[in-house]
Amino acid sequence: MRAPVLRTQVAAAARRPSRLLLTGLAILVAAFVVYATVLAREITQRTAYDNLTTIPAAADLVVGGSDQPGTSGAVLARIRAVPGVAEAAGRGGTEVTVGGAYLSLWRDPGSGPLATTRLVEGSYPDGPGEVAVTRRTAERMGLAAGNTTGAAVATGERAPVSVTLTVTGVVEAGTDAGQDAYAPEATVAALGGPDEVDRVDLRLAPGADADDVRGRIATVLAAAGPDRPTVSTGAEARDREARAAIEHLDSLFAVVFMFVGVAVAAAALVATSTFRIVFASRMRQLALLRAIGAGRGGLVRALAAEGAVTGLAAGVVGVAAALAAGHGLPPLLRAAGPAVSSPGTPLGTAVAVVLGAVLLTVVAVLAPAVSAARVSPLEALRAASTTAGRRDVGAARLVVGLVLAAAAALTAYLVVTQLPEPGGQESYPVESVLLQLVGSGALAFFALVALGPLLVRPVLAAVGWPVRQFGPVARLAVGGIGGAPRRAAAVSVVVALGVTLIAGVLVGGDALRVVSDRELALRAPADLEAAAGADAALPAGVVERARSRPELVRVTPYRRVAEGLTLAPPGTAPAGAGGSGVSATDLDPRALPAMDKLDVADGSLAALGPGRVVLAASVARDTGLAVDESVTLRYAGRAAEVRVAAVLPDWAPLATGMLADRRDLDRLGVPAAYSGLLADAAGPGEEGRTAAVRALRQAVDGVDGVGLAVHADERDEANSLLDALIGIAVGLVGLTSVIAVVGVGSTTALSVVERVRESGTLRAIGLSRAGLRAMLTTESALYGLIGATLGLLLGVPYAWLAVKALGLAAPLTLPLLPLAGLFAALVALTALAGVLPARRAARVSPVSALATDG
Amino acid sequence: MRTYERPEPNLAAVAAVDLVKVYGSGETAVRALDGVTVAFERARFTAIMGSSGSGKSTLMHCLAGLDTATSGRVLLGGTDLTRQSDRVLTRVRRERIGFVFQAFNLLPQLTAEQNITLPLDLSGRRPDRDLFAHVVEVLGLGERLGHRPSELSGGQQQRVALARALVARPEVVFADEPTGNLDSRAGAEVLALLRDSVRDLGQTVVMVTHDPVAAGYADRAVLLADGRIAGDVDAPDPASVTEALRVPAVGR
Repeated sequence: MRAPVLRTQVAAAARRPSRLLLTGLAILVAAFVVYATVLAREITQRTAYDNLTTIPAAADLVVGGSDQPGTSGAVLARIRAVPGVAEAAGRGGTEVTVGGAYLSLWRDPGSGPLATTRLVEGSYPDGPGEVAVTRRTAERMGLAAGNTTGAAVATGERAPVSVTLTVTGVVEAGTDAGQDAYAPEATVAALGGPDEVDRVDLRLAPGADADDVRGRIATVLAAAGPDRPTVSTGAEARDREARAAIEHLDSLFAVVFMFVGVAVAAAALVATSTFRIVFASRMRQLALLRAIGAGRGGLVRALAAEGAVTGLAAGVVGVAAALAAGHGLPPLLRAAGPAVSSPGTPLGTAVAVVLGAVLLTVVAVLAPAVSAARVSPLEALRAASTTAGRRDVGAARLVVGLVLAAAAALTAYLVVTQLPEPGGQESYPVESVLLQLVGSGALAFFALVALGPLLVRPVLAAVGWPVRQFGPVARLAVGGIGGAPRRAAAVSVVVALGVTLIAGVLVGGDALRVVSDRELALRAPADLEAAAGADAALPAGVVERARSRPELVRVTPYRRVAEGLTLAPPGTAPAGAGGSGVSATDLDPRALPAMDKLDVADGSLAALGPGRVVLAASVARDTGLAVDESVTLRYAGRAAEVRVAAVLPDWAPLATGMLADRRDLDRLGVPAAYSGLLADAAGPGEEGRTAAVRALRQAVDGVDGVGLAVHADERDEANSLLDALIGIAVGLVGLTSVIAVVGVGSTTALSVVERVRESGTLRAIGLSRAGLRAMLTTESALYGLIGATLGLLLGVPYAWLAVKALGLAAPLTLPLLPLAGLFAALVALTALAGVLPARRAARVSPVSALATDG
Repeated sequence: MRTYERPEPNLAAVAAVDLVKVYGSGETAVRALDGVTVAFERARFTAIMGSSGSGKSTLMHCLAGLDTATSGRVLLGGTDLTRQSDRVLTRVRRERIGFVFQAFNLLPQLTAEQNITLPLDLSGRRPDRDLFAHVVEVLGLGERLGHRPSELSGGQQQRVALARALVARPEVVFADEPTGNLDSRAGAEVLALLRDSVRDLGQTVVMVTHDPVAAGYADRAVLLADGRIAGDVDAPDPASVTEALRVPAVGR
């Protein structure tokens, strides 16, 4: 009786294709996501290949490359002389210092097919000592077209050579770090820097034989010595370069696919739940088939086949949609600006994804199909549908759930015992511990899936209380959810998974931000720094000049003692051993707002003062000192006793081991000359920063030995990198939440269909259309409410464990606002998902609703 | 020849005037009601009888504001229900009409007591505690108030449905084949309770049925055939009603 049963089911499904689509919606979204990720990888690879290479397209042959040794100017000349070579451009740069700041001088022909720069102002240099700069360099270093400046060329072994550079123009190059200049090869070579050519790009003369030229060049190179580069075609060299650049992209995509995998698993969970609902609403029909003689096996096979058809349709539509997006988006982006390449059409992968969708759906449909086929034929004869009161969770499921929960708790406990000590251990197996943590989390989630129905009523009682106050309709909604705890659990659990992942990212990201801020506060305590070399001092007048400039604020000079200072426990003999060397600084952490981000492991920074010092974690560990203990400082024969005010979780600012008060260093006889100064830019934005850099440079007045650092750039880069990382991570884990919301929508839509009679009764006894809509939308939102609550309860503790397990000495934070936003967003989204089904339900007239065959 | 009974607003709880209901259009149009004019008196138990397809359920749906007629008028007390908005009809159903269905139609997730007070909850009214206690006692539901429908027998569920209809003190209680899903004993119980509510509470009850035995409990039986009034029997008993059904309507 297989075929006839299948025919009835397929006929029923064909009559209502929208029902089929609803059931498979989660699978559709999953197929879309998987194939879209595959296409995204293609797009990224192609864009990288097309845009990330520094080798111009016109280069026919390339000698050397980033992974090979360079060659010399003499060899370059000989290569140029090979017949068949139309043009040879040598690549590489020389380090030059201008007024204490570093400038990279790159070789570039400036014009012609092998040029990598484009002239935008002035003229390209062609005489001795002439250079062109990039725009940012011109602004930052004050080198506009027409300026002349003295410079020192680094030569490696010998002392730097002084030259005079004339800026003739401004060019546009691939990157602009604010310290780049370009000049023809002859000019650069004449400056006297090291004779190194990193790479040679060659253009062949028309009609030249590439292999012949290659052979000749190989001969030239062979004569140059054993440590030599090789010749490759332009295409090969570009390929190698692009491959190197995108190597880490592949591992990145591996991580992405892992998260996509989680989303696919969530889709399977949703599909199981929706199939269960669909079959429940068809119970009378299935019972009828059983009554007239269809066997259980035949029924299961027919239902499974229906699942396969659903999976096929969902997979095909999902892949097609992804293809449309993958081919439609890049041209739009290209019109808007970024040069993004189009992907190909990986057909093999497409077929694989569709087959995967079918397989996934069949797996998802098996359990509901088996329990639906168990319907007793008598159900067909019952006119009034009295749903048998099923227990929430069977005995077997309860046992499995408890075992899983116990296993999860045990693994979590194991992780806790393995957590690293503050300060870090030498051999801490981060990956292994994190893997155990992920395992524990997975076990906990499966326990949640098994025990879900038991949790629905208590959670509903807790979070439903405020909802119930909203009137009889809200109470009906709460009752409606609580009356079907298995269904509520099936949907809410997927929402919980999505929320757990996002909450984990938010909490983890917040902790990382604290760590990052702390690192920046240590390394880059202000926008700008001017520092003398080790053990040297700032020339006199620098600090006053800097203070007098309006473009600089909070000019904070400091002393840094690198050698000669020792710590010893109090009471040890003044002379001789018994003390460890430590570097210290008297930088006042209260002077610069960036240092507010400094957190302490113990004690309080505010206690820093005369006679009180702050130690780095490593120093405290090595000396065994703790807060409020005394220690003797020794310097050049003098001693001073101080107490520990605080211990920092990592290094002390400016890469020292100790923060001391100015007066203590004076007491010890540390020279009063400043080692450096920190300052912030007075004006906002890029403009203010450039002005401040110029001001500080002028204050330093080109004195040798004083280095200028623009920490603000580093800080911006680190912050935007962290933001981008967190944003991408949220986007990735957000996939699962998207699937969850889709699941809520389809569940609500299908349960509306299943409860048509109930809706009709409510309308008959006087519930208005708006009331019915409100009730169904509230039910939908309640799924989100339950799921979000469970998700936060599960996600935040595991996130804290993960933060501790990473061993970054990061604090346990609770970003309340983002988490509250997440909670509200998910409730709102699930409510939204219920709006359409609610509207459709309210449109049905009470009469037709009541007349529906239960 | 149709008898035109002019409904007297003072006496009629609900009345239909020249009611026509057509389903579909063109060739497949079905005239479920073909010009029905009838009035139902207050505090009386009236049965609407007919075989399947006679239009009796359609008539009830129109009278109760569950469906809109194609032409004609429906008067509930003094209110004209025809062509009212869904919002108004919903209010009317909530506050002035009670229902008893063949399929019980209780909400499975609510207890018996919650099901009984559901219409009142929806309109934000509190039940009359004395009436509630009286109805519960008369219907014998005192022990069952905390149970869910899945824990009640068919007869008990129908009694809960009846309590739901009565406790709200509606102007009219409409019962659509209330004994269809019950065995004869439970059915007899429910019919007796319907009749008693008329006697004791002064309730107006309009019952649709095809069963002559059930019609025997009513004070009056209106017969419908092919969408038209085909007879009107006062103080019916099963025998007279069966006889009236067999004889084709006079003066079609």
